[in-house]
Amino acid sequence: MTTATGTASGQHTLASPVGTSPAGWKARWRIRTSTALLLAPATIYFVLFFVVPLGVLVLFSFYTYTNFDWTSRLTLSNYSQALTNPAFRAFYWRTLWVALLVSAIVVTISYLFSYIITYVLPGLRRALYFLVLVSLFGGYLVRIYAWRTMLGTFGIVNKTLLAFGLVSHPVTSLLNSDTAIVIAMVNFLIPLGVLPIYAAMQNISPHLFEAAVDLGASRLRTARTIVLPLSARGVKAAFAFCFIGTMAEWVTPQLVGGPLNQFVGNAIQYEFGTTLDWPLGAALALTLIASVIVVLGLLAIPLRFVYR
Amino acid sequence: MALFLFVPFVVVVLISFNSSAAVQLPLAGVSLRWYRQVAGDPLVQAAFERTALAAVVTAIVSGILGLTAALGAVRLPQRWRTVVFTVPLIPLAFPALLYAIGLATFYHQIGVGFSIWATITGHVVLAFPFAFLVLGAALERFHFTLLEAAHDLGASRWTSFRTISLPLLLPALLGAMLLAMAISVDEFVIAFFTAGTQQTLPLLLYGRINLGVFPSLNAIGTVLLLISMTLAFLAARTTTLEAR
Repeated sequence: MTTATGTASGQHTLASPVGTSPAGWKARWRIRTSTALLLAPATIYFVLFFVVPLGVLVLFSFYTYTNFDWTSRLTLSNYSQALTNPAFRAFYWRTLWVALLVSAIVVTISYLFSYIITYVLPGLRRALYFLVLVSLFGGYLVRIYAWRTMLGTFGIVNKTLLAFGLVSHPVTSLLNSDTAIVIAMVNFLIPLGVLPIYAAMQNISPHLFEAAVDLGASRLRTARTIVLPLSARGVKAAFAFCFIGTMAEWVTPQLVGGPLNQFVGNAIQYEFGTTLDWPLGAALALTLIASVIVVLGLLAIPLRFVYR
Repeated sequence: MALFLFVPFVVVVLISFNSSAAVQLPLAGVSLRWYRQVAGDPLVQAAFERTALAAVVTAIVSGILGLTAALGAVRLPQRWRTVVFTVPLIPLAFPALLYAIGLATFYHQIGVGFSIWATITGHVVLAFPFAFLVLGAALERFHFTLLEAAHDLGASRWTSFRTISLPLLLPALLGAMLLAMAISVDEFVIAFFTAGTQQTLPLLLYGRINLGVFPSLNAIGTVLLLISMTLAFLAARTTTLEAR
């Protein structure tokens, strides 16, 4: 722990010119070594428990599967199966359109929320942001379970609809549908959407906003010409987070989507948990990552023209 | 919108106090019978202990890794510092399912069986970036001149660490560790693929959801929510994560 202090004061020696004398060179070398030693544990941990496991996953995707087991003979057949099987293709399309829909809804709600707490109700800003922040870290599974209870035939959503006379019979199609997936996913992704958008808005100088208002710009015009372009980075980050999160989701479709509304994630979980075809599961996972990158890349192209 | 965010929590918490076995609102009456049932369930007790173990170990390991890495990172030249503070964002944005199956294939390949310890190694990967960023932010605000002053006044390295660095960094370290615990307690996907038969509370909850609708599920869910939200709340209060 004493190195901690040594490093801390060492920063100044590093910033100030030490000179080229042998003593100065020695001091610099000592500082470099201790910096490296401080960064080493976390780096080693990450290589061992993050980079290597993903490497093993890539390796597995080329293994040969036979009868609930696999051999290390390398093959491309897992990929051809992942890409050509019509059942998987249906999963890919469902996952993709639900992910796009969920991300668009989350970004819209998060944007309005961040805008309101920053510019319309600044008095409540800290309290509301705090609530959102805390809810980011709690209750992933509990939330999904709650929607399962609420959207059921005798759940509170149906009871409310019946009480207000909006429907005459309980709506049985609320649960086990894409709608249920979208509602539950939007619900737990909102904090993830608010975080980057809110942060981007706090970085906009309030003087710019005031100047625009003083020069006679309407609220809408100020929002469109000042706030939106300057918070575009936050919007992009929020969209990407939500899109990645939804594309690789499997618990929500399983618990509220029902057996007919499955995602690629469910196929991966099935290959890993039930058929034990890990190589195919790994190939599905890697094609999923590839498709996430491709779609986000394609979406970024038109954005570049809008916010040049 | 804040209402929409908290509706699921409110529903689960309310139903957990229902005196009848019906999983619906309005409540038939208020009782603690489901909490009593859950408290006497040996499987729940075992899962609770494992969840606590995972949370504490994750907090300690990611606290140590976060502190050493942050102390190293602030000494780098600005150009490198930006890179070093961006890299830990990769596991944050990386989909949990894909990382979880990667970790499962990894342990299988090296011949180590699934257990709560395998899960903990994954939880540290999720919690470390938060610890690193929180501690890094605290160190950026740290006045290193204080240490020089202490040194000039004759304090030993250990004395200045004990009387200056530690008290000033302690809130951030504590916050980072609380956040790590909150993440570990609530984590489901990595535990699902790597814990094997050693169930944590979220795994137990998931297993029972699939078996059917039990009123005691709401009590387990409420306990889980209470623990992770309290930890997250305390973490947000101790660190400046909420700053600005």
